[in-house]
Amino acid sequence: MPISASTAQLSSTVRSRGLSALSVGAIAAFALTACAGEDADAADAEQVSSDTQAEETAGETAEGSAEEGAESGTVTIEDDHGTHEVSTDPQSVIVTDNRSFRTLEAFGVQPSAAPLGLMDAQTHSYAEDESILDLGMHREPNLENVVAAEPDLIINGQRFQQYYQDLTELAPEATILEFEPQEDADLVEELIRKTESLGSVFAEEDAAAELVEELETEVARVQEAYDGESTVMGLLTSGGDMSYVAPGPEGRAIGPVFDTFDLVPALEQEGENESHGDDISVEAIATANPDWLLVMDRDARISQEEEGYSPAAEIVEDSEALQNVTAVEEGNIVYLPENFYLTEDIQAYTEFFRDFADALEAAE
Amino acid sequence: MSDHSTATLGSPPDDAVDGPAVHRRSQRRQRLFTPALLVGLLITCGLLLLSLATGQYEVFSEDGFWMFGITRVPRTIALVLAGASMAMCGLIMQLLTQNRFVEPTTTGTTEWAGLGLILVLWLFPGASMLARMSGAVTMAFIGTVIFFLFLQRVTLKSSLIVPIIGIMLGAVVSSFTTYIALMTDHLQTLGIWFAGSFTRVVEGRYELMWLVLVVTILVFVTADQFTVAGLGRDMATNVGLNYTAVLFMGTAMVAVATGVTATVVGVLPFLGLIVPNVVSLFRGDDLRSNLPWVCLAGIATVTVCDLIGRTIRAPFEIPVGLVLGVVGAVVFVGLLLRQRKSGGLVT
Repeated sequence: MPISASTAQLSSTVRSRGLSALSVGAIAAFALTACAGEDADAADAEQVSSDTQAEETAGETAEGSAEEGAESGTVTIEDDHGTHEVSTDPQSVIVTDNRSFRTLEAFGVQPSAAPLGLMDAQTHSYAEDESILDLGMHREPNLENVVAAEPDLIINGQRFQQYYQDLTELAPEATILEFEPQEDADLVEELIRKTESLGSVFAEEDAAAELVEELETEVARVQEAYDGESTVMGLLTSGGDMSYVAPGPEGRAIGPVFDTFDLVPALEQEGENESHGDDISVEAIATANPDWLLVMDRDARISQEEEGYSPAAEIVEDSEALQNVTAVEEGNIVYLPENFYLTEDIQAYTEFFRDFADALEAAE
Repeated sequence: MSDHSTATLGSPPDDAVDGPAVHRRSQRRQRLFTPALLVGLLITCGLLLLSLATGQYEVFSEDGFWMFGITRVPRTIALVLAGASMAMCGLIMQLLTQNRFVEPTTTGTTEWAGLGLILVLWLFPGASMLARMSGAVTMAFIGTVIFFLFLQRVTLKSSLIVPIIGIMLGAVVSSFTTYIALMTDHLQTLGIWFAGSFTRVVEGRYELMWLVLVVTILVFVTADQFTVAGLGRDMATNVGLNYTAVLFMGTAMVAVATGVTATVVGVLPFLGLIVPNVVSLFRGDDLRSNLPWVCLAGIATVTVCDLIGRTIRAPFEIPVGLVLGVVGAVVFVGLLLRQRKSGGLVT
C-alpha cells in the first residue's frame, strides 16, 4: 500500500491522472503499481490522440499518405493528428518515439534531443552519442531539454505520447508527428505507413522502401509456412514469471501478429491487461496445449548482463509443468528479439518474423 | 511462564479497543481443544481440499496426477504456511505493541523486506533466491527494530497513532525502494514480486516457505511469554520476564516470516490484522486457546481469497494480495468504526 502510494506520488509529478486516481482506490495492489504506470500512460495517450483526432480530422483513415512537394523543400505528411507541412531539411529534430530510433538511424538522421534512457547501446548508436540532449525516461522526463533543443520537428510516440500536449506548449514552432499503430488497423500496414512517412519527411524514400521490402519478405514467408491450423499462444516473461498475451490488438506486441497471419489462438479468451499480460497459471497453459509459443522477454535487454537473470527460454522450457506441452516438446518456441521491449520497430518485427518463418519452415 | 495463563491481551488504559467480549469471555478459562475447534479444523481442511481440486488442468487425465504434484500440492502447502505464519505475526506484533491495528503491513515491516529484496538485486545482481530472502529478512528485522525504537519515543500511544507511524515509516522506506527500482529499471520486476500471488508457486519455487514452519512452531512454544509481554514492559518485568529478550525474539520471528513470504509469494496485506482481531472478537483474548484459531483462520482466509482469485477470471488469475487488500480494507474500516462506537479513544 505505501509502495503504490509513493509510486503514485512520483508519477503524479509527471502528470499521470490515471495513476493518482488509482492510488486512491488501490488498497494494497502492488501488482497494479507496476501496471498502472503504463496503463495510465496508455489511457492518457489514447485520450490525447482521440481528442486531437476528433478536432482535426474527423474521418481520417488509418493509412497515412505522404505527398511529395520537394521543390519548395517541404512535404505534406499525414500523421495521426492530421496533415502537416514539413520541411525536408529540419535543423533540429527531436525523437522521443522508441519505435522510430532505428529507422531514423538507418536514414542517418542526427537528433538534437532524445530519451537516451530508452535506448540500449547494443542496439542504438544514439545511446552513447553525447551531442544528443537527454530527455530522460518517460516516467520522469526532462522536458526542459525540449526547449533547449529548439526543435523544428518532433517525432513523438509510444511512451512519450502522454506528453504530446506539453510538447506543443514547449515547442510551439515545431511540427510534431506521431505515427502510432491505430487500433483495428493491420500491424504490418501500420509499420509500413510509419516507415514510409518517415522516409518522406527526411527524403529517404529509398532507405524506407528497403526496410519495407525486408519486412514484406518475411511476412510472406510466415504466411507461406503457417499451416492455418496449429494453435499459437503468446507469453510474456518478466521477473521470472510468465503471463499471457491476448491475441488481437490489445495483446502487447504479440497480440496483433495473430490477426496478421490468422494464427489460431490456443486459448480463446480475451485478456484484460494490455501492456503486461494476464496472470496465468502454468496449468492453464498446459491445458491449452499450444502447438506454438511466441515469447517476449521483457527483462532481456535490461537485465541480461546480470548473472542471476533468468532468460525466457529458461523460464518456459525448464518449467516442469510445461514439459508435455506440444510447443515445448517439439521445440516450437519463437522468442522475440531480446531488445523487442525497447524497440518494437519495423526492424524488430522483421527479425521476429524471420525467426518465426525459420522455425515454421524447420518444423514442416 | 505458567501453562495456565489466562491473561487477557494487554490493553493500556487509553486503549479501549477491547470490546465487551473480553469481559464476558476472558474470565472463563478456555480449553485448548474444543469441539468448536474441531469443526474449524474440518472446515479448513475442506477448504484445502477445495484448493487442491481447483485448477485448470484435468487432474484425472493421463498425466493429471503428475501435474497435481507439481502445481496444486506446492500451492496448497504455501497457502497453509503463509496463512498461518502471517496471521500469527500479526498477533505477536499486536501483543508486543499493545495495539490492535499493528501487523507487518502497517508497521512498515513488509516495505523493509521489499527494500532488502531490491538492495540485494541491485548490489548482487546474480543473487540466488536464498540470498534475496536473507536480504529481505535482515531488512525486515532492522525495520521492525527501528519501528519499536521509534514507538518508544512517542509518548502518545493512542491506538491509531501507532499504525499511522508504521504506515508513514513504510511509505518512506518504499519510496526509497521505488527510487532504487526506478534507477535500476526494476520497477516492473518489483511489482511482479510484490503482487502477493500464488500463481508462480510451483515445485522448485516454494521450498523456502518451509522456513516459516519453524516460526509457526516457535510461536506455539513461546506463546505464554508473548502473553506476559503483552501486559506491558513494567508488568512483564515485574513477573520476571526478560522483556527485551522476548521483544527481540518476536521481532526476529516476524522478520523471518515476513521476509520469506515477501520473497516467495509477495505481500499479503492485512492478513495479520484481520485474523487475530476477528478471532478475539468471537473468542475474547485468551492467547493460548486462540492460537490454533488464529492459525486456522489465517489459513482459511488466505485460501478463500486465493480460491476467489483463481476462479473469478479463470483461466486467468487475480493476485491474492488484491483480494486480501479489498477484504482487509473493509474489515480494517469496520474495526475502526466499531472502536469508535464502543467509546474508544480515537485521538
